[in-house]
Amino acid sequence: MDEAQAIPSAEEAQAVPPRASGLLRGILKFIRTKPLGAFGFLLIIFLFAMTLGTPKAEFGAPELPDRPFGFELGEPWMQRYDEEALFTTQSGFVAAYESPSGQHWMGTDQSGRDTWSRVVNGARRSLFVGIWALVVATLIGAGIGIVSGFWGGWFDLISQRFMDALQSFPALVALILIVTINPTIPLINDEGDQATLIMAAIALGLVGIPGVQRITRGVVLSVREQQYVEAARVIGATDVRIMWGYILPNIFSSIIVVFSTGIGVVILAEAALTFIVPDKLPQGTSWGFMLSDSYASLGDAPWPGIFSAAAISVSVLGFNLAGDALRDVLDPRLRQR
Amino acid sequence: MQQYLIRRILLNFFVLFLVATMVFGALRIDSSSVISRRAGGCFAGGTDPALIEQCRAVARAELGLVDSIPKQYVTFIWDTVRLDLGTSSTGNKDAVIGEIYERAGPSIELGLLQIVFALAIALPIGVISAVKQDGWVDYLLRFFSILALGIPVFVLAVLVILITSRYAEGTFLADWLGPHVEYVGPFDDPVQNFKIMFAPAVLAGLGTGAIIMRFLRSQMLEVLRQDYVRTAWAKGLKERVVIVRHALKNAFIPVLTIVGILLGNIVSGNVILEFIYGIPGLGNYIVLNISQNPNFPAVQGVVIVVAAVLVFVNLLIDITYGWLDPRIRYS
Repeated sequence: MDEAQAIPSAEEAQAVPPRASGLLRGILKFIRTKPLGAFGFLLIIFLFAMTLGTPKAEFGAPELPDRPFGFELGEPWMQRYDEEALFTTQSGFVAAYESPSGQHWMGTDQSGRDTWSRVVNGARRSLFVGIWALVVATLIGAGIGIVSGFWGGWFDLISQRFMDALQSFPALVALILIVTINPTIPLINDEGDQATLIMAAIALGLVGIPGVQRITRGVVLSVREQQYVEAARVIGATDVRIMWGYILPNIFSSIIVVFSTGIGVVILAEAALTFIVPDKLPQGTSWGFMLSDSYASLGDAPWPGIFSAAAISVSVLGFNLAGDALRDVLDPRLRQR
Repeated sequence: MQQYLIRRILLNFFVLFLVATMVFGALRIDSSSVISRRAGGCFAGGTDPALIEQCRAVARAELGLVDSIPKQYVTFIWDTVRLDLGTSSTGNKDAVIGEIYERAGPSIELGLLQIVFALAIALPIGVISAVKQDGWVDYLLRFFSILALGIPVFVLAVLVILITSRYAEGTFLADWLGPHVEYVGPFDDPVQNFKIMFAPAVLAGLGTGAIIMRFLRSQMLEVLRQDYVRTAWAKGLKERVVIVRHALKNAFIPVLTIVGILLGNIVSGNVILEFIYGIPGLGNYIVLNISQNPNFPAVQGVVIVVAAVLVFVNLLIDITYGWLDPRIRYS
């Protein structure tokens, strides 16, 4: 930073490396010190790459995996065939249950659809649910965590008991309950037999609130005692301003860590939910459905099952490894918890 | 200590009250759609409004939704306090508490076997990888623990079943690893029962074993650097005695926390494995009673029982903790 402020002569400018290479050096150092974490990031980058497609200028509510943030994404570039395309053998039969080959890298499923294309398309749904669930969980969880950690007192006591109560619900049971009851909520959920995907994401986020709240509250309790918070109070900052301007920026790294580890958990939970109650969730290409379809045809079609299982495991592994490494780098305080 | 206990017990009851309120509220957020779905089978596509209304009334009565919500709530809380969880709203209208009692057995058996397997895997591996820190054995064992953590239990279970049913049909492998059609209780046929329980217990144990192993390893590393361990080495004690009696004994106390969490979840921890392997435990019971036709009394009952086991086992663990480690004082 100091070097950047001084006006460098031509010679010095040569000696001072440009900023980009500083970033590059940081990345290289991360790879050297945290090889497993770097591997995790590689997996995550690959996962996101699978979802990429040509964006279209059609806007709407983010309710579908093809419309993750409101704009429509085209077919993923990485897919080789359409995910619903049905293949036939040369003799005209449905090319079902085929083993991996040059034409179908991961074989075909019970109706002759290409497994690789379905795995690529399923990544969108998993990441969509994962990200939106974590947005819900962190917004509410961290909000309650900051307030209850900062204020303490009766608000803390009551909110802690509420979190205890939420946590003593078995998570999977709560999830099945929410998607089965399928409450009609304007803009989010229409009346129908199946919960919409954004509803499933919200349910997964609600279940994750106590975990986020606990971690945030713990960090806030230690940050609260810092001198800069005291200084802010001396200059007459209001509680809200202290929480927003002084505490939030200082616990942000912890929130990022919680966010990245949480996505892996949610992807797993969504797959489990799809597996247990397939008829309560919106249809579409999803790793959970692939696994349960393959399981239903017991042994005849192991390939879609094996590869969707691998996709779930690899993404959970990626987010776990990356989250662990991020935690070590950004926030060593969390390691104790 | 006495004051601490009383406060904790009172707080536990408050938490249970909150749980009961939440599950009551969650079931009634949108009960009209549940009623319509339940009544749908009764009028079977008919359009006679009188018939539809009659069907809805029957469904409402079956679910216990006739009274006004506040009245329902008061009755529900009062019944729960008297340990009366109502009668099941489907099937032959059995008392919910009896059904829960019947199904708790297999769940508890599975949970205990899971803990046994997890410890059997985690104890030796955790100790060895701490003693051989940064050696190739350590790296290999840690790699396997990361793998066991990364692959979700239910995915692993599905894979095991897929592969055994494809390539090992009819062999002893399918007998031990595959799902069984019929469940046999441990008192009727212990061997057959163990065969049924073996695969889910091992699979669940692998995941939790990996967590315990990582925890135990870091605890062991810390303890092995303590002065009293150096003293033990200096006294010339055998390696086995130093590691097992001096180090492991102290490193093990925090590990009990995880065992405690497992014990707290013992009745509901393996919902998905019970579902896949067809074990008639509480997890299977609740999936059945929520997903097909929400059976309100059963859902409420199971959630309350599960929460009660969790909070009181947690209290028990905290007390044991203070007893094992005299440095911890509760006030």
